[in-house]
Amino acid sequence: MSVRRVAVTGLGVVAPLGACVDELFRNLEAGRSGIARLASPVFDGLRSPIGASATFDGTAHFTATRIRMLDRVSQMALVAAAQAIADAGLDFAAECKERCGVSVGTGMGGAGTNDEGYHTIYAERSARVKPYTVLASMTNAAASWIGIDYGISGPNLTYSTACSSSAVALGEAARRIRSGDLDVMVAGGAEAPLTFGVLRAWEAMRTIATQDATDPAASCRPFAQTRTGLVLGEGAAFVTLEEWNHATARGAHIRAELTGYGLTTDSAHITRPTVAGQAGAMRAALASAGLCRDDVDYVNAHGTATLQNDSVETAALKEVFGERAYRIPVSSTKSMHGHLLGAAGALEFVIAVASLERGVVPPTMHLDSADPACDLDYVADRARTGMQLRAVMSNSFAFGGTNAVLIAQRCGQ
Amino acid sequence: MSTLETLQDILIGEFDLERGQVTADAELAALGVDSLDLLELMFKIEDRYKLAIRDDVPSTLATVNDLVAYIDGLLVARGAARGSDGADLHAGT
Repeated sequence: MSVRRVAVTGLGVVAPLGACVDELFRNLEAGRSGIARLASPVFDGLRSPIGASATFDGTAHFTATRIRMLDRVSQMALVAAAQAIADAGLDFAAECKERCGVSVGTGMGGAGTNDEGYHTIYAERSARVKPYTVLASMTNAAASWIGIDYGISGPNLTYSTACSSSAVALGEAARRIRSGDLDVMVAGGAEAPLTFGVLRAWEAMRTIATQDATDPAASCRPFAQTRTGLVLGEGAAFVTLEEWNHATARGAHIRAELTGYGLTTDSAHITRPTVAGQAGAMRAALASAGLCRDDVDYVNAHGTATLQNDSVETAALKEVFGERAYRIPVSSTKSMHGHLLGAAGALEFVIAVASLERGVVPPTMHLDSADPACDLDYVADRARTGMQLRAVMSNSFAFGGTNAVLIAQRCGQ
Repeated sequence: MSTLETLQDILIGEFDLERGQVTADAELAALGVDSLDLLELMFKIEDRYKLAIRDDVPSTLATVNDLVAYIDGLLVARGAARGSDGADLHAGT
């Protein structure tokens, strides 16, 4: 049996810096930051009230009747998925719906709905919890609504592996297409963590960046000596994945081929990453793509700007790529769009595909003083254009230790 | 304002409906009000009438008129409670 190939035919995002892929990528290429001081007085009292908000108003997309059933995380997921499906020109009415599936990654699901419910119970001391609280906050709500809206009746799956959730969602979706189980997957991730309760909890871990005193937009500094932690962001990113012949038969525009997926687990510490785990996932992704280390031309790093991640990821890249690690552009776009947790993997895969298509590597911003332990080419401060990119890698590593790496290649490569 | 008019105002505001749709004999399901929406609607009704609805909402409420009758019944019960001991047993949400 010939190998079934996985085509990426549609992209969609609702993210800081962009309500569509073009807008997002233009802003990333220009080095703009979506990180800012959170304006609402709700966030007063946080040590570091910063975040990367998506410019997104659900009431512009959903009726009042519908929106009370949808947490912000599902609203953004539905809009990003709709973009990807429209971009692909997919019409599910014309598809065998049992051969289509949905695969979503999210870390916290409807966090805002939970926060609101707990406020009602504990702060207001009221029993009037909204009847939709369970249905809006359950982690599989976003995936379920996508399935319902498009009548997709194959597997409807939600992965929750913290910060690698949606990289896993895309990788597992690709596996199901490769295996012959399915022909089409709507795959992505969504996260809406900008609530007081969530931010306070993250702050308690001492992983949130200190707000930059002069420029809050420059608070997230991956790979820099002066990095102080991550900045949370919100949004959703989706792709449509199709079996190659299925895509070509309907004349779809294939944006890239998803060729590599590597998955390992640190099995060491709940937060502290390991070089072996991260390197293992990169090697597994290369192996599944049938590529060697000389074939990768850009790495969109996990690059959270935490002390631990950036030095460990750098060491893992060196272990996998050897001397070539110094010649591959590696950038962390989290310096601009923040850390979208469960949506990060899908968002950064979409960015990697957009890089591949455009021959443009987005920069790592705010890298004014490199950490000696981080000595690779991080594309500091300025995008690189006119690049001939053959294959791009997107890294996602997580609390809990799940390391997921995706590789996309130019069509026909 | 009658109970029907008050309920019509709430439904129009909460469910993006036109006044002409919210007739007395309109089916709640046809207006897009399902069983969970009805529970949330009860919070609005509690606030509007200063009621505390302790019992489960009957599953037999199918039309706007059924809901009007249910609310009127609660109001009568509250009036009776006030009349008997002078206290509003269900107020104070």
